[in-house]
Amino acid sequence: MANALRFLIVDDFSTMRRIVRNLLKESGFPEADEAEDGVVALHKLRNSKFDFVVTDINMPNMNGFQLLAEIKSDEKLKHLPVLMVTAEARKEDIVAAAQNGAAGYIVKPFTKATLEEKVGLILKKLGL
Amino acid sequence: MDSNTPAEPGELHYKIGVLTRQLHDSLNELGFADRLRGSMDELPDAQSRLSYIARLTGEAAEKVLNRVEQAKAQQAYIAEETRRMVAALIKDPVAAVAKGDIMNFLTDMEAVTQKADEHLTEIMMAQDFHDLTGQVIGRVVNLAANLEDQLVQMLIQTAPPGGVPAAIAAAPVAVAAAAVATESLAGPVVDPSKAQDVVTSQSQVDDLLASLGF
Repeated sequence: MANALRFLIVDDFSTMRRIVRNLLKESGFPEADEAEDGVVALHKLRNSKFDFVVTDINMPNMNGFQLLAEIKSDEKLKHLPVLMVTAEARKEDIVAAAQNGAAGYIVKPFTKATLEEKVGLILKKLGL
Repeated sequence: MDSNTPAEPGELHYKIGVLTRQLHDSLNELGFADRLRGSMDELPDAQSRLSYIARLTGEAAEKVLNRVEQAKAQQAYIAEETRRMVAALIKDPVAAVAKGDIMNFLTDMEAVTQKADEHLTEIMMAQDFHDLTGQVIGRVVNLAANLEDQLVQMLIQTAPPGGVPAAIAAAPVAVAAAAVATESLAGPVVDPSKAQDVVTSQSQVDDLLASLGF
């Protein structure tokens, strides 16, 4: 059944944005928008309503860590769950993401089942 | 000796040796040696990155072809079963329904189309190689740009007055602009056996986060 939650997918590669968007749609989340970096994402987040952010880390202009910090320091945005989906596999990056407020961390390449599981767990924790 | 006369192999070897020594000394004096050595040290890494790209693109192509072959076989099965069911309905519609052929056919089709959908999802997922290889290609391009930048700088500083064409003199700016390093992030792990303190699977990520209480 389709869910009305609105996702923002942030990744500098349009291929990956389309993949995530399609996977979310298949998983029952058809409402989504896209941004190619943290700057565009932040602008969209501040000018439109979203319920969930799925973001890459390694991006130009503003990377995923910077975006996470901006979101978590913004009173109006800090409630948003941020799921990092990235090729960054260093343990220090994973720990830093968690300590800075990320709701989840997925390493690329990933599967549809992994994305579904992580999104489901985060929504369950938040009672959404 | 006439400069047009071919040198003896031994003499040529000696001259190359002298030139190499002069280049080495000049690089040291100009302070380029360490910088160039830094770039040269990254070349083996560039090689493993290119191997990673070749492997990933190969695996993606293989995965897509496998899935397409399976999907086409299922497509042929659907077409054949549909023709068989049409023939059965034309011959004796009541019997086709009564014997359960229609119901079996519909149930079968639901399962087969579910499989087809799984193939399409996997074909879509295989396209993630574009993101991963794109990041790695970007790093190799940056390495090449840095190397070029350093060589051009060396050319400018060692050339006699008026000896550097304007186009070359302007090149470092363009190269530097193109090679803007995005960050200190590591990017995809191209060779897990050589990488330290990295995870190689989602389960390792989950274990690490669980150990931290997340």
